[in-house]
Amino acid sequence: MLSLNARQLLAASLALAAFLGLTGVSLDQAFRASSEAALRERLQAELYTLLAATDIDRKGKIQLAEELPEARFSQPGSGLYAEVVSNNQKQRWSSPSLLGQGITFDARLKEGERRFTQLGSGATLVYAMSFGVNWETAARGAENYTFTVAESADSFNAGVQRFRQILWRWLGASALVLLAVQGTILRWSLAPLRRVEKDLADIEGGAQQRLAGDYPKELQGLTKGLNALLDYENRQLTRYRHALADLAHSLKTPLAVLRGALTSTPDADELRRLTQEQVERMNQIVGYQLQRAATAGRATLQAPVSIAPLLQRMRASLDKVYADKQVDCRINADNTGVFYGDEGDLMELLGNLLDNAYKYCNGKVRITAQPVSQPLHHRTGLVLEIEDDGPGVPPDKLRAVLARGVRADESVSGQGIGLAVAQDIVRAYQGTLDIRASALGGAFISIAFPTR
Amino acid sequence: MRVLVVEDETALREQLATRLKQEGHVVDAAADGKEGLYFATDYPLDIAIIDLGLPLLSGIEVIRRLRAAGKVFPILILTARGSWQDKVQGLEAGADDYLVKPFEMEELLARLKALQRRAAGWTQSVLHCGPVALDTGAQTVHLHEQALELTTFEYKVLEYLMLHAGQVVSKTELTDHLYEQDFERDSNVIEVFVGRLRRKLDPDNKLQPIETLRGRGYRLTLPRSAA
Repeated sequence: MLSLNARQLLAASLALAAFLGLTGVSLDQAFRASSEAALRERLQAELYTLLAATDIDRKGKIQLAEELPEARFSQPGSGLYAEVVSNNQKQRWSSPSLLGQGITFDARLKEGERRFTQLGSGATLVYAMSFGVNWETAARGAENYTFTVAESADSFNAGVQRFRQILWRWLGASALVLLAVQGTILRWSLAPLRRVEKDLADIEGGAQQRLAGDYPKELQGLTKGLNALLDYENRQLTRYRHALADLAHSLKTPLAVLRGALTSTPDADELRRLTQEQVERMNQIVGYQLQRAATAGRATLQAPVSIAPLLQRMRASLDKVYADKQVDCRINADNTGVFYGDEGDLMELLGNLLDNAYKYCNGKVRITAQPVSQPLHHRTGLVLEIEDDGPGVPPDKLRAVLARGVRADESVSGQGIGLAVAQDIVRAYQGTLDIRASALGGAFISIAFPTR
Repeated sequence: MRVLVVEDETALREQLATRLKQEGHVVDAAADGKEGLYFATDYPLDIAIIDLGLPLLSGIEVIRRLRAAGKVFPILILTARGSWQDKVQGLEAGADDYLVKPFEMEELLARLKALQRRAAGWTQSVLHCGPVALDTGAQTVHLHEQALELTTFEYKVLEYLMLHAGQVVSKTELTDHLYEQDFERDSNVIEVFVGRLRRKLDPDNKLQPIETLRGRGYRLTLPRSAA
């Protein structure tokens, strides 16, 4: 695709060429017209001078009463010519300059008629002004004469030519100057775009993290969007990096156990048992870390998820899976409770907690979901409570799970994994998770997502 | 019982098939969704194990179509992703239970047994019919609280009859569900085994536990009891 620069330059050059061309042509036409008008006027003046100087004697012969003031009439081939001729061709007078030029004026005009013409061709091209006069003499009565004054086109054309040369030279020069100015303006106004390009290249090269500095108003939407994307990307990258590091670290312990067992456990059954145990542990670690990596976290532009229908879906699913237990699961949630976030995260959270409840209960599970509102906050919070009548969570496990910054290799299996996953998801949404003993006898898990 | 395994990963599919056959089950194995759907529609299955990520037709879609076609046998789904969204979707499509990969083979077998039992209307793992107690977990049979020695195949026949206690079970049904396909069907092996079962369960001929319905099959006459 054509670059912005090239587009702008091409368009500007075309416009400039059209503008300057039209200007040149019209100036040329105007100059030519005004030169011609000046020529006419001059010839007219010469014609009047000729008229004034002309005399016709008794025999009808045309004579000049006095010398014409313009000396060029006397020099042969000077370019300025004059002729007086009677319309019956009997009498003729020509200026000495017309001698031997081979130029004939054949206009025969009636009284008062005036004509401006171009005569001859090539070297003998002239502009001629003729005028018809009725001359009355005592001897011969009234007779018609045609007076003509002509000037060679050479000097006229040379003048036009000279003007043209100067005109186009100047127009060309100004076009170049204008193009240069245009180019400079373009460079200046496109400079922010080039800066964005350079900044992006720097980001790609790792020299900087985001688009820094001031950008013009028109670009700010773009640069802000890019920055938001870059920040999101960076956050994700950091999270993945941490998840990966956690995963690698937490896999090292079981691997070390296995390696040790290979060299120090002679008994095959014992080795099999150990391997099985460690493989199970690694499987749990992988599952847990995968879950952590998949948590989408707080989303700003998502539609809220209605909690009650989701709870009913989860209950139907778990009722199926734990069909043998015939769990009496009661949901106390109306349609006002919503969760601002990813539906997958919420399902993961509920799935882990409800699965624990179903697994460990003796037959009763209670779920409560209540929206929480606060003045000035337009997003409601949510309080979720899940309790069962099982044995509850032992205090030592509880501490391990709820300790901040718990690592996968430290967290406990079984109920612990589910709780740790739930804890991670709740934290990703700036919520709190609390466990205490339920009046039913088992665990009472309470989760609160804040208003915003 | 007759189990369909739909799994695209060859190694896992073969492992499953081998293990299930070792357990005495009849196994049909399919490598993609279309084949799986075909087998499940055409064969008299007791249970299906369906992987969710299948080529040609997704596991969810296979389950949906089977349920839409009125198939009621239990379905166990296998999923590698293990997200609750996947699990709930699978269960809502009509599956009865799920297992997240990688899983223990023992866990799978236990789930299959539970599903089969549940599908036949039993909630406990020990089935009681009159004086006979059959433990599907330990695969043992007690008569009047006394352990009873049964061969594997005798046990299979009794288990099938007890799971379907009160219902008429034809000879073809027994062969279909307990034998590999290439078994010679017209042999009278079933009659022989039923005869041996009768002698073992009712040595003094007072109980009459298995009734023969001429041309239709067998029925376990002992009443189901809860405990």
